[in-house]
This record gives sequence, structure tokens and C-alpha cells, in this order.
Amino acid sequence: MLSTIQPPRCLSRIAVRGRTKSRSLHILSSAQSVTSASLIDHSQILSIRDSLLSRHLSAVQLTHSYLDRLKQTEPQIKSFLHVSDPDKVLKQAHEIDEKIKRNEEVGPLAGVLVAVKDNICTADMPSTGGSRILEGYRPPFDATAVKRLKNLGAIVVGKTNLDEFGMGSTTEASAFKVTANPWDLSRVPGGSSGGSAAAVSARQCVVSLGSDTGGSVRQPASFCGVVGLKPTYGRVSRFGLMAYASSLDVIGCLGSSVADTGILLHAISGHDTLDATSSKREVPDFTSQFTSASSLESRPLEGLRVGLIRETVDGGVDSGVKSAIQSAAAHLEQLGCILKEVSLPSFSLGLPAYYILASSESSSNLSRYDGVRYGSQASSDELNSLYKESRAKGFGPEVKMRILMGTYALSAGYYDAYYKRAQQVRTIIRKSFKAALDENDILISPAAPSAAYKIGEKKNDPLAMYAGDIMTVNVNMAGLPALVLPCGFVEGGAVGLPVGLQIIGAAFDEEKLLKVGHIFEQTLQGYNFVPPLDADGVFA
Amino acid sequence: MGSRALPILSSFKFKTRLSFASSSSYPLFLINNNPKIRNFSIKTRSSLQPPDVLRLAETARISLAPNEVEESAPKIRQVIEWFGQLQSVDLDSVEPAIRADTEGDNLREDVPEAFENKEALLASVPSYEEPYIKVPKVLNKE
Repeated sequence: MLSTIQPPRCLSRIAVRGRTKSRSLHILSSAQSVTSASLIDHSQILSIRDSLLSRHLSAVQLTHSYLDRLKQTEPQIKSFLHVSDPDKVLKQAHEIDEKIKRNEEVGPLAGVLVAVKDNICTADMPSTGGSRILEGYRPPFDATAVKRLKNLGAIVVGKTNLDEFGMGSTTEASAFKVTANPWDLSRVPGGSSGGSAAAVSARQCVVSLGSDTGGSVRQPASFCGVVGLKPTYGRVSRFGLMAYASSLDVIGCLGSSVADTGILLHAISGHDTLDATSSKREVPDFTSQFTSASSLESRPLEGLRVGLIRETVDGGVDSGVKSAIQSAAAHLEQLGCILKEVSLPSFSLGLPAYYILASSESSSNLSRYDGVRYGSQASSDELNSLYKESRAKGFGPEVKMRILMGTYALSAGYYDAYYKRAQQVRTIIRKSFKAALDENDILISPAAPSAAYKIGEKKNDPLAMYAGDIMTVNVNMAGLPALVLPCGFVEGGAVGLPVGLQIIGAAFDEEKLLKVGHIFEQTLQGYNFVPPLDADGVFA
Repeated sequence: MGSRALPILSSFKFKTRLSFASSSSYPLFLINNNPKIRNFSIKTRSSLQPPDVLRLAETARISLAPNEVEESAPKIRQVIEWFGQLQSVDLDSVEPAIRADTEGDNLREDVPEAFENKEALLASVPSYEEPYIKVPKVLNKE
């Protein structure tokens, strides 16, 4: 095995009948599974499909093992705000088994357990957005991304924790709980999709959906040692994603391997009539460029031009992170890449511009939460104070602060000074990325200036927390796709804390990111990115 | 580790540095690598009124307790001062970008479609008295 990114330990420790047999019997398995043996090692989704179709594992057995693990680890990790009723989940798994027995077609995600971030609407489960103002709210529809997953056979196992309405980088701004990083329970998992990243990292589910407005899929992927994929703005429908900043929000994918995030992306991508900002561009087959490691040439990325963004490895970045990125860059060079440093001159302007845009747009988007048509309603005998009290009680302090800042930036007389200027900075950033991506196939950088920090460390210092987003916000401003995958470790926790490499591509070029990421992942040696949780959910 | 992240704001290689004289401990920086923005006109902070948190809360329809105002006002002020660094960049010839994509809108036909699950919609309404969504009276402001 070239790579040490291992399949989840849980499946080998919790006795599952037939699991150990499946790999050796693959050669004799049915014609339905066409994936190569070694590719299965690097995609949990394909491995599951192979096991199910060759009848060496049933969906019910698989579901039991994940649900058991979820139950055991959840008291420490707290990634879920809502876990589906186990009976309902097992019933769905049973139906998949019945279909397979009858030799009927099952979707490519049949039996795959997916966790969904709680700001993405699911009709049969509460969707709170991490906020008290939507406590107990059940949407009357599924988000398009969720609908598409379910149509392909995926099983939604629960809703994951997040910073309220996506505003935050740690899950500490959730109204309900703080999620712990599976690598060190005293540290944050990142945010705002902290629950989704932790759930995949702790192997409580196979893959998960998150949302990324300023880095909220990529930074937690880096902190939790999993793969996070932010698609191009417009690649995936935002229908059913509770809007935070409409010009920046995207739904993103998290998984334990690059191939899994690509398969998930393929499932949810494509134009949606319910989202006018979703692109009509054809969706390439994101599942088709994963070659197995054994069939790679010695320099499989020969000639690929890679630009390392200079401003992201300057001072202020943790030295451990810098050296992990430099090793990753060296690894890419060994694979044949041509590495250069590139400078993006407007890079640091992106951070204040992003926060102006995000606060402004969120102040408008969150005005719908008024306690009238849905959500928590305060009691009052006058309409104005009904609004004010419902919102005061329902929103947390970070959300209130951002609404107030946004209200200020959009006030009459200030629009030109703040919002319009931030829009202009967006143009500059778009152009500078485009220029850099004309000269280079991909750009690389860290996903965050440090590895996961301690819970409570940055809670009271907004600018310190915002500063951590410097690596990620510009990508949202430019609407580009980016992939984060684990590339190394820094000191901390029981066995070290993972560090993610961010790979940025041109608009709609997710294929290239997935190809490069997959080859990098398969050829990276000497690392194990499964956190040291044993079958009892306890750290080794 | 909070202080480790701060130096990012201070250590990018730039030719000049502008610090607004204020209680804020976050120096603000200009980017001077791009010749387009080397010439700049300085608009001082004082031409824009600092945020009046109570008035903003009224506009945003959120009631704030006095201790909340006290806690949040300095943080809000700090962040808005930090936003102010955009004032000093020459953006005269730059088009504002509404969003990132260059594709233009993909609008659907302006044809109404019935939403089937009306029951679930109405089930979420806190105060419902068929066929009305109930709200308390509106008081006229003096």
C-alpha cells in the first residue's frame, strides 16, 4: 500500500461479518463493481459500494457499525445537533439490502451515511442553523443538494453543529454546544462547519455536507485532518442553504479522501431552476479521474505549474504550518510539478473587504428572522417590539454584532465608503487571481495560519479570530474552487495536530483540483490521518 | 495564539504603513505593490460618524440591554475602524463586482408554481388563525 491513509479503524474493530473477506474475494465479485482493488482503498464510498454489491456486507450491518460508533464517540465530540431515529435509518438500509437481493439497481451512494450541516434544510429533521431563533424549526422542503443525495441512495444520519448561521470559525458561536476536535478534545474543530468536519474525522459518518462563505469547509477540514472541497460559486445549488452572504455562500463536501469528496460533489452539482445563481454549465464526471496509485507513472504531474502564494507563508503563520506546506510543495515537485512563488498584491485587503461584504449581506439576509412566519416568537403586544424581542432573544452575540456592523456599512451615506469599496476590492482580487491562474495551473497555500487552537482561546477577540480567515476569504471573493487535504502534522494533542494544504483552481476547474489532490494523497507516505479514537470512542 | 494571528496584519511586505491614531492596537496597512493604487487620497475617519450602536439596533430591529451595548460597542467600533483601511485605497477606476461569476443570471420563466407542502409551511407559523398569520397591533410612533 502506497498510502497510509487507512480505512476507518472502527470497521475492523467492531466485528462486522464479511468485512475482512471482501477485499480478497473482490477478484471473483460480480460484474456490477468495476472499480479496481486499490482504488477502493482510497475511497470509502467505492469500498462500500463494492462490499454491498458483492454481498459481503449488508447495508444494515454497515449502518449498525456507524451508528454504534456515533453513539460511542458523540458524548466527547458533540458534532451532532440532531441524530436521525436509528429505526428509520436502519429501515432505509434494509430497503437497500432488499433491492440488492432482488438484483435491482441501487444508486451510486446507496448505503452511504451522510451528515448534513444544520444550516442546510432537511424536511424530515429540525434545521436550526445553530440558532435559538430556529430552535425546533422543521423546513417544509429539502435543500436541492440533500434531495439529490437522497435520490442517489444516501442515508442522512443527522444534522451537524455549526457556528450560528455560519458566522464563526470554531463552533463556539453555536447556540447549543461546542464541538470538540477528534484529535484533541480540548481544541476546536474549526468552523463554521466544525460538526461536519469532526463527524467525518471521527468516522461517525462516511461523508458530510458543509457550507463555505469565508473558509467554513476548508479551515475545519484542515483542523480535523479530513478533505474539504469548496466548489466554484454556482456549481452547486444554494436552494435550501440558509443564506448568510448570498454572493459568497457555497455548499461544500467533506470526506476522508479526495475521491469521496469528488463523488459527493458530482452527486450534488448542476443547475437548479430554484437557484438563479446556479450555473448551467455542464458538470464533468468528477468521479472519473481517480487513477490508482499502482498505475501512476513516476512523475504523474509532470509539467503542472504550481504557484505558492507568497503572502500566505510570510510571518504570522505558524512555523509548523509553514514547514508542512513546504514539504507538501516539495512532494508536488517530486511528482513533476514546476513550483514557483507568486505574489497576489491585494491579498491582505481581502480580509476587511470580505467582512464588510459578509456583515452587510448577512444583515439583510437575517432580517427574515422576525418571529412571524417561523421560528421562535417572543410575546409582545406591539409589532415592533415583537420583532425586536424575538430577534434579541433568538440571536447570539456574534450574529447580533455582525448584523449591527452590516447595518452600519449599508446605512445611507456609508454605502459608498464601505460596501461599494468592498465590491471594488472584490474586482481587484478576482483579477489578480485570474492573472495568477493564467500563469499557473493551480495555486497552493495553507488553509489556516495555525493548527487547531484551544477552545476559548479566541472567543473574546473578534479581530484575532477574523485574522485566521486570511488564507481562505479571497477564494470566496473570487468565487473560485479550492480543495484542502491533510498534508502533515504540527505538535500538539496526543499524536500531533493535522495541517491541511489548500489547492486553488480556476473557475469551474474542480476536475484539476481533484486529480492533483488524489495523486498527492495516494503518494504521500508516512502519515496516518485517522485520529486515535478506539472502538470505545476513547482516545488511545 | 490570538497574538500569533495578529502579525499577519502587520507583516506583509508593504512600502508604507498608515496607523490611525486611535486606541485600536491593530495597525492598518496599505498595499503598494500595485502601481494602480500607489496614489491615494486620504479620507480621514472623522468624515464618517462612528457607529451609534443603539440607533443601529433600532434600525436592525434588535433590542439591546444596556450591558450588551456596553460590551459590544467597543468591539463594533474596533472592527469598523479596521474596515476603514479601505478608504485609503485608490479604487476610482475599478468596477464594483456584485458577485464573482461572470455568467449573467440564469433566470427561470416567470410562471407561478404551486408549492405542494402548504400544511408544513403553515405548521411552522407561531401564531396562526386560519387564514391569518397573526401579529400584534402596530403602534404609531409619536
